[in-house]
Amino acid sequence: MPTAPLPHLARGVDHAAFPTLDPAGTIRFYRDVLGFPVVHSICAAGWGPEKHPDFVHFFFDIGNDDRIAFFHYFGFEPPMVSARGDAFARFNDEMPSFYIASRHLAIHVESAEHLNEYQHRLDLSDWPTELRVQHETIESIYTHDPNGYLLEITRALRPVTPQEDHDAALSVQALLDIADAGDLTLDALLRRKAELIVAHAEDRDPLPTPERVR
Amino acid sequence: MDSYRIGLIVPSSNVTVETELPALLRSSADAEFTFHSSRMRMTAVTPAGLRAMNVQRERCVIEIADASPDVILYACLVALMAGEPGEHRRAEGLIAEQLATGGSAARIRSSAGALVEALRALGARRIALVTPYLRPLARKVVGYLSAEDFEVSDWRALEVEDNREVGCIPGDRVMASARDLDLAGVDAVVLSACVQMPSLSLIAPAEDELGIPVISAATAGAFGILRGLGLPTKLPGAGSLLSGSYS
Amino acid sequence: MPTVYVLDVPENRPVVEVASRDDRVAVRAVGPYTRLSSSAPIVIDRRETGCRHAVWYSCLAGLAAGRVVQWDKNALRVEAS
Repeated sequence: MPTAPLPHLARGVDHAAFPTLDPAGTIRFYRDVLGFPVVHSICAAGWGPEKHPDFVHFFFDIGNDDRIAFFHYFGFEPPMVSARGDAFARFNDEMPSFYIASRHLAIHVESAEHLNEYQHRLDLSDWPTELRVQHETIESIYTHDPNGYLLEITRALRPVTPQEDHDAALSVQALLDIADAGDLTLDALLRRKAELIVAHAEDRDPLPTPERVR
Repeated sequence: MDSYRIGLIVPSSNVTVETELPALLRSSADAEFTFHSSRMRMTAVTPAGLRAMNVQRERCVIEIADASPDVILYACLVALMAGEPGEHRRAEGLIAEQLATGGSAARIRSSAGALVEALRALGARRIALVTPYLRPLARKVVGYLSAEDFEVSDWRALEVEDNREVGCIPGDRVMASARDLDLAGVDAVVLSACVQMPSLSLIAPAEDELGIPVISAATAGAFGILRGLGLPTKLPGAGSLLSGSYS
Repeated sequence: MPTVYVLDVPENRPVVEVASRDDRVAVRAVGPYTRLSSSAPIVIDRRETGCRHAVWYSCLAGLAAGRVVQWDKNALRVEAS
């Protein structure tokens, strides 16, 4: 455990990049259905030690100057084990759906009106909203993009409180402790966390978490 | 002796950069060089002609990177300096990103960036220029260098629009313009702010005559390439920039 | 004596309220948490809390001297271990 907080210098997502086998669907979905501006593109070839096909790399703005980017490799057909999964990873029938759906991108919006607007745009498209749900403190809509990637758009139902940050810090510390102890179960997590709750009951800034960004 | 591949991205009508850069770098005592070009179609040095050329940049980078060069020189100075201030940093950044995304280890220089780099290396503040361009484009180049914090105290525009003709401007015409410049307080002369206007044979005599450092887009390009490769910046008979005193 | 900790946020307050209807359940604040302990099994009916599933399945922050024997859409039941 570090003794002093490390300066927190990162400032959000520059871009998250994914391969696409369907560049036309991807452009229609992100640019034309969702209305995300195209902000950058690169054409290149594989010049490094691992030769690869000519490709185009293109970027959509997802707000905050953050970007989602795609690679399309011309003429490349990846060996895929099945139809389950997405353009990056395919799975056989042994893989449960919850695991496949665990990896996703969630884009933030400011209000219920804005969430409704994106739901409306999706519902008029070939990629309608598949699910709308209220979690603990957020409300989200979900769909799969033309590449099979799970996309979530979400709004906060209320601001996150300091005690929730405190709780998260205790959960993560408890997880680290039980992992180190070789006992990765929910039961062990809750027991270890109860100990940490009692130990840190009095101090208001108990764990050495990195400084928060203002 | 190590051998390096130099990739050149040149306007299609340019002949001088493929003459002067090999002449310069092949006189190096430290390394051998081979030269490989990719061409962007351009004949008329006008804003429209330059815009049409710049959209070919991405294709040219792909072509030249296929040859696994060690350094690529984007060799059209006015194409960048006719743009917004700092355009060479933007263009070099985009090309560097394109190369890196494809896994190329090539380093990128532009003749526009190399000229700024060379003037800074010389410690020049006040400069004077000879350009082949039409006056509106020449004023753009002057403004661009001013935005880089150089004081352009005097300049000449030879007003040749056809880029093929620029490659045939006689040396005595270039020298006559240089002699005509007001050099009071000037730290360095850019004898040819263009990789197409021939000037290499004039650099050393002009420096002797004018008594201050004289550079060209070509000598600055060679300087930038040598620096990029971490080699000594020493080439014989190419002016004080390439005397080995500046690195 | 089974003991559970619940983070004190608005969504969790119905959980504490329903649990404390049982006179045997002692309620005490521990830092930003509410500590519920009882001489008997702690049983909370989800429908009485009115909690959405996402809240319900994340309401439990810590567990001491007890084990979860039921935590489904109907109820949470913690017994002495």
